[in-house]
Amino acid sequence: MATAFAAVPEAPLRFKLLPRLLVGAQVLYVLGVAGAGYATTALGKAVVLAATPADLTTLKTTDFVRLRYAVATVPQAQWRGPGAPSRRQSVYVLLTAAGAPTAAEVLGVYADEPRAAAGQAVLRGWVTDVFPRTLGLRYGLERYYVPAASILRKSTVARPLRVQVRIAPWGQARIVEVGE
Amino acid sequence: MSRKFLDTESPAWVADGLITEAQRQQLLARYPPDAVPAVGLLPLLGSLLVALSALSVVAANWAALPPVARLSLLISSLVGAYAGGHYFMQRGNRTLGRGLVGLGLVLFGVSIILVSQTYQLVGYDASGLLAWVVAGVALAYAHRSRLLAALTVFIGAAVQTYCTQALGSYSYATAALLAGGLGYLWWRRPDGLLSTVLSAGLLWQAALWVGVSHAKITWFFVPAMLVYAAGDWQPNRAAGRSAQGPPLIAAYLFALGLALFGETDAYADLLRPPVLAYLGALAAVLALSVAGKKQRGRLDTLPDWLLLLPGFYLPGGLPLAIATLVVLYAHAGSVLVRAHRAGSADQLTLGTVLFVGATMVAYFKLTWAFLDKSLFFLLGGVLLLGLSWYLRRRNARVLAAAGTPSASPGAPAEPAE
Repeated sequence: MATAFAAVPEAPLRFKLLPRLLVGAQVLYVLGVAGAGYATTALGKAVVLAATPADLTTLKTTDFVRLRYAVATVPQAQWRGPGAPSRRQSVYVLLTAAGAPTAAEVLGVYADEPRAAAGQAVLRGWVTDVFPRTLGLRYGLERYYVPAASILRKSTVARPLRVQVRIAPWGQARIVEVGE
Repeated sequence: MSRKFLDTESPAWVADGLITEAQRQQLLARYPPDAVPAVGLLPLLGSLLVALSALSVVAANWAALPPVARLSLLISSLVGAYAGGHYFMQRGNRTLGRGLVGLGLVLFGVSIILVSQTYQLVGYDASGLLAWVVAGVALAYAHRSRLLAALTVFIGAAVQTYCTQALGSYSYATAALLAGGLGYLWWRRPDGLLSTVLSAGLLWQAALWVGVSHAKITWFFVPAMLVYAAGDWQPNRAAGRSAQGPPLIAAYLFALGLALFGETDAYADLLRPPVLAYLGALAAVLALSVAGKKQRGRLDTLPDWLLLLPGFYLPGGLPLAIATLVVLYAHAGSVLVRAHRAGSADQLTLGTVLFVGATMVAYFKLTWAFLDKSLFFLLGGVLLLGLSWYLRRRNARVLAAAGTPSASPGAPAEPAE
């Protein structure tokens, strides 16, 4: 009887407090991810990237389109790294015209993080293809989840787009707006 | 024995005078027919349909929902699943409770992914999803739950696959959390199913590491045999043995592949890591495993290591194929001998299958080039028939000896035939 009584206060504590703390931590984490989104918009460097949608007819079945960025293909001459680039390697792309309304251009693709001067921005990406003269790059921004009110839903004719991206000082990036 | 069987067979028992009609009625009363099982399933199916309907409404309108609405929807379902889980666990319905907590864990990962998607946010390393693995390990500890631990193994596999395939980097933290966190849980609370799941999950982590680091694939067996050695040290023999299943299967398939394709030097060359480093690492793991076997008195399983003999250092071609076949035979023989000693029917079947497998590989490998086609098939058929006759005889004798230990071993009594 005594052991049963002794066991009672301990067991509910373990089953109440720790799991509740864990749930709270998870909720905070999800809120933190959302917060990182807002913080990237507020604090990040603005860059405009030129892109074209790959296929707008897919919007009938899915809620995203694939964007083809102008900066997704760069000449091999712009590679700055100790060795030759390899597929799936993660890279740092130095871009011009941070904050300007014109579309950004690639200054160089680096294996290690370069220092960005004023008016420049560093966007991270991965090498997808190594061709003899060019490099294929991926930025993780290719899938654009199209909001219900977006102009992309108005017509299925693919026109050139201006994709406004914000790059946070800690490296995360997000699409803020897509317009024509 | 099912109720249906009792219903159909019992009248014959009465007719044969085995039981009386009264006894038959007693037996029938003792095993009442199950209440129509579908009725118990109806509320479950109903709530599943309601949940699916809610899910499809949300999915259809997801693009139209403002970010804040999406966020609150995700968080409320996350909290709801956990709250339901805790509620049922406190009421004593642990299975349902843990199931709901597991659902909450899945929803946590889904929330991370969907919130990143909502804000079009790109992460460049695994830190975002690593939290999912951390939460899984922590929940498995908090609830002392094998179900949650097994779920976390799958989450870890998914996160690591994403890291290596999409981000091009290996998340050592994920592998360490699975090996250390869940490994410790397994060590303290051994369990058959969790052993196999965790062991297979760790092998998956090791395989992805080999793929990402462009190492020779034979390096895979160093971490794999570390898992095996952990099984040797596990105080609970059954759990240890279950954990050793996946590494052994991997090693066996590898040896089988070597026997089948080892002839071409190009393939064997793909497998040759630097001799000293590889053999040194493997020998260290072997020493660990042997020490564990000795400590726990399981030296009888030592022949498992036969499969790890590095035959691929031999020159490719016939010598390699034959050496591998000898190893396969020795391994199958060791399993048979162990089964014979322990009198275990399952082990005996396994040993027989391995033995027949090795014979088939040897036969196809070695005789195809030398024999006429008809002679090839004739000889193969005779070989298999002879083998099956011999092994059946042996099996029957062993099982008879195990069933009736008092029977004299020399008596050739086979009444079953």
